[in-house]
Amino acid sequence: MAKIISPRLGTPGDDFDEAAALEAGINVQALIDGGFISTSKAAKSAKTNSEQEETR
Amino acid sequence: MATSTILSNPTVTVNAIDMSDQCTSAVFHINYAQLTATAFGDVDNKYVKGLGDHSVDLEFYMSFAASETWATLKSLVGTTTTVVVKPASGAASATNPGLTLTGCFLAELPTNFALGELSTATISFTGGVYSEATS
Repeated sequence: MAKIISPRLGTPGDDFDEAAALEAGINVQALIDGGFISTSKAAKSAKTNSEQEETR
Repeated sequence: MATSTILSNPTVTVNAIDMSDQCTSAVFHINYAQLTATAFGDVDNKYVKGLGDHSVDLEFYMSFAASETWATLKSLVGTTTTVVVKPASGAASATNPGLTLTGCFLAELPTNFALGELSTATISFTGGVYSEATS
């Protein structure tokens, strides 16, 4: 679920219903690009390298 | 009795963003193709309604600050969105209809930079489905 960032869109912190917005013809990607909403995609964890480097 | 509407606080939303405080003019064009239906025997032209071809022209002050005009419009160029214009703030009603263009296309974002003047942008959203929200 996306969160509202800008008060121009609604109350900051409130959930933003992407499905309803898309149905109403709203360009959700433009809202993300413009910084009006944030997506709730989990941040990618840092890549860890499990392979040990060879020591010479 | 004739009545006039003096606009003082119309509202304009573009892509669900309230842009009223940056907008200075909104012209909603509700157009339908005029198809001739005149036939032999008629002595006057007759027409029927064809495809709708609506548009809305908006004039904005340009602001490059966060959540302002540029941030709202820049990603809409070449895409479709929804524009709503109401005569006054408050809920849509029969006397405060929300003129809505759903799925309208923004082809260009011309931005005016003139020395000593506020930067402005006059844009046109074209096409889409017209509806009038009254509740």
